[in-house]
Amino acid sequence: MADSELSPKFAPFLGMGGIAAAMIFGSAGAAYGTAKSGIGIAGVGTFRPDLIMKCLIPVVMSGIIAVYSLVISVLIAQDLMPPSGTESHYSLFNGFMHLACGLSVGLTGLAAGYCIGIVGDKGVRSYMLQSRIFVGMVLILIFGEVLGLYGLIVALILNTKSKG
Amino acid sequence: MATKRIISQEKSILEKDNHIGSSPAASEKSNIAPAVPASVIFKLLAFTFGMIVIPIGSYYVTVDNLFSGNSTYAGALAAIMANVVLIGYILVAMAEDQSDREEEKRKEGKKDK
Repeated sequence: MADSELSPKFAPFLGMGGIAAAMIFGSAGAAYGTAKSGIGIAGVGTFRPDLIMKCLIPVVMSGIIAVYSLVISVLIAQDLMPPSGTESHYSLFNGFMHLACGLSVGLTGLAAGYCIGIVGDKGVRSYMLQSRIFVGMVLILIFGEVLGLYGLIVALILNTKSKG
Repeated sequence: MATKRIISQEKSILEKDNHIGSSPAASEKSNIAPAVPASVIFKLLAFTFGMIVIPIGSYYVTVDNLFSGNSTYAGALAAIMANVVLIGYILVAMAEDQSDREEEKRKEGKKDK
């Protein structure tokens, strides 16, 4: 395998790191969001079991964050392939770009999951006492969720540059 | 003789087990209605299944058929489909709350009459 300046041997390492970062950080955020809001839902469910269905919204949103990470990981993984022949086709640019994709979707997912966890926990407990909080809680959750969506958009746009 | 009386009146553990084997509701009245109605459980299962299958499934279905290999559009579609599932869940949860309130109102109305 020829080791050129633009596509060195270690370039795939960065792309793999991007995949791992997307999945690890995104899942960490989703796990925090699910667990923290799950604590709140368990607390609410003992008093008002009829509210559980509506209180599960933060959990669904945390799941979506994991889906974002999954989509980006699949996209990056499709661009990666083992070097065949004498030329290494995976450039250093692609490696860094995939690392940026993974980090952007992973760390924004972590931020969004953290936000959803705290808002979900407190919001669900407050919703038990005051039903008008629900619309506000869902709005705040959506704005928290959008943080992860921005990371996904950036990652998708970055990923289009690999074809050139 | 006291011991005999106890044996004749109370059921032993083995006899109690027999009821659990067949149908507990048939012989004795116990509140076995689930705390969560079956429709809610079906909805939750449907949304769980949808959350797992729809985004990643829509990606793989459309990446080659609809977008002819452009994985960016397919990825964006997967993210959109995940949000569609979320919106659907919120709508269903809202509808559930409204139906609960209507039922309560109906019950209260019957009590008033």
